[in-house]
Amino acid sequence: MLARLRSLLRGLFRRDTVEAEMREEFRHHIELRAADLVREGSSPEEAQRRAHLEFGHAEGHRETARASRGLKRFDDLRFSWLDFKLGFRMLVRYPGLTLMGGVAMAMGIAFGAGLFEFVMQWSRPELPFAGGARLVGIEVRDTETGGVEPRILHDFARWKEDLRSVEELGAFRLAGRNLVTGDGPGEPVLVTEVSASAFRLVGAPPLHGRTLLEDDERANASPVVVIGHDLWQDRFGGRLDAVGTTIRLGGTQATVVGVMPEGFEFPHSQNIWTSLRFDPLEFAPGEGPAIYLFGRLAPGASLELAQAEIETLGFQAAAAYPETHAGLAPRVVPFPELVHMPAPGLFNPEFLFLNLFILALVVLLCANVALLLFARAATRESELVVRSALGAGRRRIVLQLFSEALVLGGVATVVGLMGAKYGYEWFLTAIEGAEGPLPFWFEPRISPTTVLYALGLTVVGAAVAGILPALKVTRGVAASLRESTAGGGGLRFGGVWTLVIVAQVALTMPLPAFTYFALDEMAGVSRLHVDIATENFLTARLELDRDLESIAPTDLFDPNNAFGGSGLESDSAFLARYASNLDELERRLLAEPAVRAVTLVDRLPLTYHPAHQVELDEGAIAPPDERGHRISTARIEPNYFEAFGVPILVGRGFDSEDVISGARVVIVDEPFVDRVLGGRNPIGLRLRYIAIERAPPPGPDAPWYEIVGVVGDLGMENGYGRGGVYHPVARGENYPASLVIHLSSDPTGFSTRLRTLGAEVDPTLRVESLTSLEDIANGEEGIYAWGVSAVVLLTFTALMLSLAGIYAVMSFAVSRRTREIGIRVALGAKPRSLLLAIFRRPLVQVGLGVLAGAYLLGMLSHWMFGGITLGQMLLVAVYALVMAGVCLLACVVPTRRALGVEPVTALRAEG
Amino acid sequence: MTDQANILPGTLDLLILKAVSLGKLHGYGVLLRIEQISGGALQIQQGALYPALYRLEHKGLIQSEWGTSENNRRAKYYSLTKAGRRQLGEEVASWNSLADAIARALSARPQEG
Repeated sequence: MLARLRSLLRGLFRRDTVEAEMREEFRHHIELRAADLVREGSSPEEAQRRAHLEFGHAEGHRETARASRGLKRFDDLRFSWLDFKLGFRMLVRYPGLTLMGGVAMAMGIAFGAGLFEFVMQWSRPELPFAGGARLVGIEVRDTETGGVEPRILHDFARWKEDLRSVEELGAFRLAGRNLVTGDGPGEPVLVTEVSASAFRLVGAPPLHGRTLLEDDERANASPVVVIGHDLWQDRFGGRLDAVGTTIRLGGTQATVVGVMPEGFEFPHSQNIWTSLRFDPLEFAPGEGPAIYLFGRLAPGASLELAQAEIETLGFQAAAAYPETHAGLAPRVVPFPELVHMPAPGLFNPEFLFLNLFILALVVLLCANVALLLFARAATRESELVVRSALGAGRRRIVLQLFSEALVLGGVATVVGLMGAKYGYEWFLTAIEGAEGPLPFWFEPRISPTTVLYALGLTVVGAAVAGILPALKVTRGVAASLRESTAGGGGLRFGGVWTLVIVAQVALTMPLPAFTYFALDEMAGVSRLHVDIATENFLTARLELDRDLESIAPTDLFDPNNAFGGSGLESDSAFLARYASNLDELERRLLAEPAVRAVTLVDRLPLTYHPAHQVELDEGAIAPPDERGHRISTARIEPNYFEAFGVPILVGRGFDSEDVISGARVVIVDEPFVDRVLGGRNPIGLRLRYIAIERAPPPGPDAPWYEIVGVVGDLGMENGYGRGGVYHPVARGENYPASLVIHLSSDPTGFSTRLRTLGAEVDPTLRVESLTSLEDIANGEEGIYAWGVSAVVLLTFTALMLSLAGIYAVMSFAVSRRTREIGIRVALGAKPRSLLLAIFRRPLVQVGLGVLAGAYLLGMLSHWMFGGITLGQMLLVAVYALVMAGVCLLACVVPTRRALGVEPVTALRAEG
Repeated sequence: MTDQANILPGTLDLLILKAVSLGKLHGYGVLLRIEQISGGALQIQQGALYPALYRLEHKGLIQSEWGTSENNRRAKYYSLTKAGRRQLGEEVASWNSLADAIARALSARPQEG
């Protein structure tokens, strides 16, 4: 055993020495034999010749010797440079196949790698600075509600002193402010008020000027800001004298002291920073601004250690301040989790499913390439037979075809990775366009891990595309050799290929249907029908600067905060100021000649609304599922419908009396009437809420509301469909409220005017998310367009490939029957019966595939969309016809050729 | 050397082991030795000897070392290992019993039935 192992290892790792010794031994043998022959009377030349002849074929002996050392198995798995050279030659020789197969593999790899990169950046973010992995956040959760408690200024001050395992502890908060850099009304920005330690943590030197310092945090220091590169370019044209200029942030003047380099964003995607200046002594525990804490794990400290330490400090705080801290649990989390929703873990089912999907896609695409390569390999049968005869083993040939597929895959991978980079960039842009900015660690780059992943996909793809057909072909070759013919009928298209073709047709069947569905969905989104003429409406969210916002006015953080999603701690003085600002703004707006009407609402039409569950006292139809009737709500001012110019269809509208008296009356829309009441007249019926999204259930004492009117469909949308309830509210009850201005002309020109009017009313009144209703209606389309284009592109490739593969294999199968056709013609067969005989099998294969595909499609449609539409059915029928057409075409060309051949020639033909 | 006489399959290894057991030999020497001890009755196809030698060495039945041959050239000399000696003993015994059995069978007469 030991001897064998030693001999094997020597053969593997000292191959050159072993080979040289073998050659030397053979030479020595032949020399001695030749000397003997000379002694027996031969001439030296004759002796040499005979000695060689007697010794036999040296390479053959060497081959046997290698096998007897157990090296053959390893040799068979060795790629030779020649295989790859041959692979490249094949790429050039069959440009059509190269293009078709290469594009298919590249698409699969691009799609897979791009998706993988996104998931990696989401679930395992790499922060782009030294020690990024040690950056942590500290969040405090309310154990009862599960929400985040952000009013932790007190804890911050204490932890700064006591916490040993986290160093450079800092805090930030986000505050919306109007930024005024010159003349004009300015624009709202999200300012990061942050501890100076942030800049030390990320180790980013400023491009110009300086970063924030601890001294800037003193109460009597003059306010300073540091701006990001993009802002510097936009607002200051990249001028060097930007440092030192004074700007205004809301009601505060501040000096620009530094400009950060390009790409620097912190903590999420912000690019303007000012000092966080709050004195913890001014606030009682559990009060103060909403802040977020971050720091770096101290040398030698782990996340677990830091967690243990912070828990201990949490217990101490709970003992010291039971009223405010009893139910609070502080946690140390990796920094990305603090500012971005955590991704599913790498091993959770969703992620595995995604990987399986990618793998299945690549395998499917490569199975098509396999069909093409098989057809090509089949035409090279003679070459393979000759190679076999020259002593190449089956494994050798399979390996050769595998390396050819690898070469194709390699080229495809390079192209695919480039495609992945651009596709990913496009994808990020689409997401940011639809969902707002992503955190700074999402970069359109392809990491080494993703490259490895892509290479793995390539090997899998090449194995599918190269090894499968190779195994099939080499089996045929063995048969050819046994029959002593070169390329004579050794290859048969047996049950396996029938299965492959049937599976191929079946699997591609649902693709067009799903594309159709995606397009339909897309059209649905872009056609979002509303009973409003959306052209002449300008909308904006109105916010007011406030020192103690309880939650950042963005979706950056978990909206499910300690305040039940209300967004703000109620403060009547603040809301009164807000309401009077709105009154003044409305007055000025209505004085503008272009303005027809102004109204306010908590959520705009065609945007997302939370879904609440309602019940009616009578008349409601059975809900679709156990989640009950999920409907949207909007809190509107009494003139809302008037401002939109939509009529009350049944019953009455709201008036100011409803607001003043606090009457519990509501108006519902038509989709609500259809969904919840099956079209019955709702006037006089009562409804109440039994579940409210992101809030504790209202319980049995929930108030009843009377339905007094019905309006058309104004685009109240939630994940469950249209349909909603309108509640009347007084001005100032919605914060932040969305403003809707009905103009007499195109709204885009009015934006600046609105900002100016807002600034005149109050410099701290911020006009956020200024957009026309038209753009809101079109806004959803970006991400859909991306998804749909990707799906269409992939589907198209898969279809083309599938058709090309089926065509190649079928036409090859028919052309193999040239001889048979010739003989039948010679024997007087009628062309019709001949055609039937030829076409029967391909048509049966495609027919089976179509049936299997239709069944698969039916199941999938039922499972995903609860049924199949007429449009989809038509599409499937058309596709089945196309398939049949391709199949016929594949058979016609070789059949015509075969029918035109003289029987004598046919008999000589291969096959 | 004339054409190779047919050697029963499996006997080449036995013959090599026997030849090597009589003293260290290089490859060509093994060939000559087999011819000599079989009285020229057994001839081996020359090149086929080497795969068999390597196979026996791979199994650890013989070992090799480099030395200098009669024509002053570097040559590889083969000798029997302990395992090879044991194997040779077993193979010789089983060969003899097989040969006896075949001989008995072939010398059978009609009345011995």
